[in-house]
Amino acid sequence: MNNRPGNITWLLIVTIALVLVVITFTPLVLSPGRIYPKVLSMPYTLWTSILITVILVVLTYAGSRTRNND
Amino acid sequence: MLTWLLIVGSIYVTILFLLAWRSRRMIRNHRDFLMAGSNIGLVLGFMTFAATLFSTFTLLGMPDFSRTHGIGAWIFLAFSDAGMVFLIVWFGYLLRKRVSAKGFNGMSGLLQDCYRNRWAGYIYFSGVFIFLVPYVAIQIRGVAIFLVEAFTTTMPIWAWSLLIVVVMLVYSELGGLKAIIYADFMQGTLLMVVVWIIAITCMKSLGGWSEMFRQVETVNPALLSTPGPKGLLNSQFLIASFLAILMIPVTQPQLSTRLVIMKNTRSMYRMAVAVGTFAMLVIFPTIIIGLYGALRYPDASVSEFLGGVLLHDQAAVVGSAAIIGLFAAAMSTSDSQLFAMGNEFRGLISVSESGSLLAARLAIIIFALAALVFSLLSSDQLVLLARISFAGTAMMGPLVILGILSSRPQGGFMIAASGLGLMAFILSQAGVLPEMVGTVRMDLFLMMALTLCAIASYIVRR
Repeated sequence: MNNRPGNITWLLIVTIALVLVVITFTPLVLSPGRIYPKVLSMPYTLWTSILITVILVVLTYAGSRTRNND
Repeated sequence: MLTWLLIVGSIYVTILFLLAWRSRRMIRNHRDFLMAGSNIGLVLGFMTFAATLFSTFTLLGMPDFSRTHGIGAWIFLAFSDAGMVFLIVWFGYLLRKRVSAKGFNGMSGLLQDCYRNRWAGYIYFSGVFIFLVPYVAIQIRGVAIFLVEAFTTTMPIWAWSLLIVVVMLVYSELGGLKAIIYADFMQGTLLMVVVWIIAITCMKSLGGWSEMFRQVETVNPALLSTPGPKGLLNSQFLIASFLAILMIPVTQPQLSTRLVIMKNTRSMYRMAVAVGTFAMLVIFPTIIIGLYGALRYPDASVSEFLGGVLLHDQAAVVGSAAIIGLFAAAMSTSDSQLFAMGNEFRGLISVSESGSLLAARLAIIIFALAALVFSLLSSDQLVLLARISFAGTAMMGPLVILGILSSRPQGGFMIAASGLGLMAFILSQAGVLPEMVGTVRMDLFLMMALTLCAIASYIVRR
């Protein structure tokens, strides 16, 4: 098994991404009828899901830095 | 409006055909025509991927979807797209590694090679044909109904549809994939600019950002949380949509091809990040437009709402740019899909190099005609039809990933399971099989079952 630092970082990033995906589909984000607390006037589900989406894209960037190139 | 439309339209069509002509001059062999020389850099690669992914349903379907179902539309598409670009980092690398070892004549051909079984390619191609032709058709129809709304006294839907297909075929047959990529670049830029201008106009007319949310909370608070007023965006629907969208670059050949033709893996990684960013930037304004529609056009039909918000409530030049932008969006997604299907067909048959190019060209024309016919028969629920298309092609995700991932042929089990899964999904859509298996949606159930089959096959044959 290859335990290069890059691989460990990649596994860590994948784990964080999976946790975020699971959280998104739980009542932590999908909370029926819940509008408050608002952030920048946005209702709860909108701002939390935007935040998670941004983190996923940042993780994509971080993950790509650990992967092999051609 | 008409003057602006003629000006913007003329500029667009002129640039389109100039670029197609330039691309034609650079074509030296079938690889240049079908794969754009497999040397696409970051900027072109990102724009062509984004423009192929974000079609008319982004500008026409998403505002209407948000108007009806509320802010959960963000999770439905933007969050799912973020998951998709993350997957590209893993899948794209494996795909390119496989292609560098085996060559690339389309995903059908690659799967036949990976499984050493021709049926792998046939099943894949069947799924692509069954679910992408209707998807192309709804692009064409979406724009055609919008154009009929914009020009009530001119041409009928079939004539607009025919015009779109003819323009699309002429420039893609002329300049090949490179011409399509250039057109994608123009369309992506136009789409981003137009959607933001419209969203800002809508927001200003409602009194600003905070005021917009305050008014929606007063009029219809269910729009500000999931599952939305009609209860559609529950966790099961969103999970199934997430998985279907996650699989798009895996199962839809127009996007798999774009991963392969990138200049190098590093460019592909950066392209994935750029597409994720683009997705957020292009979907966010459609939510604003949708909330505006919920306040100003709560009971209007789809075409009345879109005609109002995209044309009549905008300055003439913006409305004209929206029309051209939609025209361009329909063409850039449709031609990419038709072109990819032509390439897939070519990969399935064994003929000489010159003969295979002719076969691909003929297949593109035949698929375009099939899409044209279907566009005259399909319904106006663009987003939901698109979602069925995503879910249908997603049935082949485990088949593709297993083939690419495993170093030895996986036998016929996964091919047979995918064929059955595809059949079950089609029958459930036709109403022959139920839409639910117990309390689980049929599409979600099939995706999970096929994933388990793929894992079992991988473990047994390892």
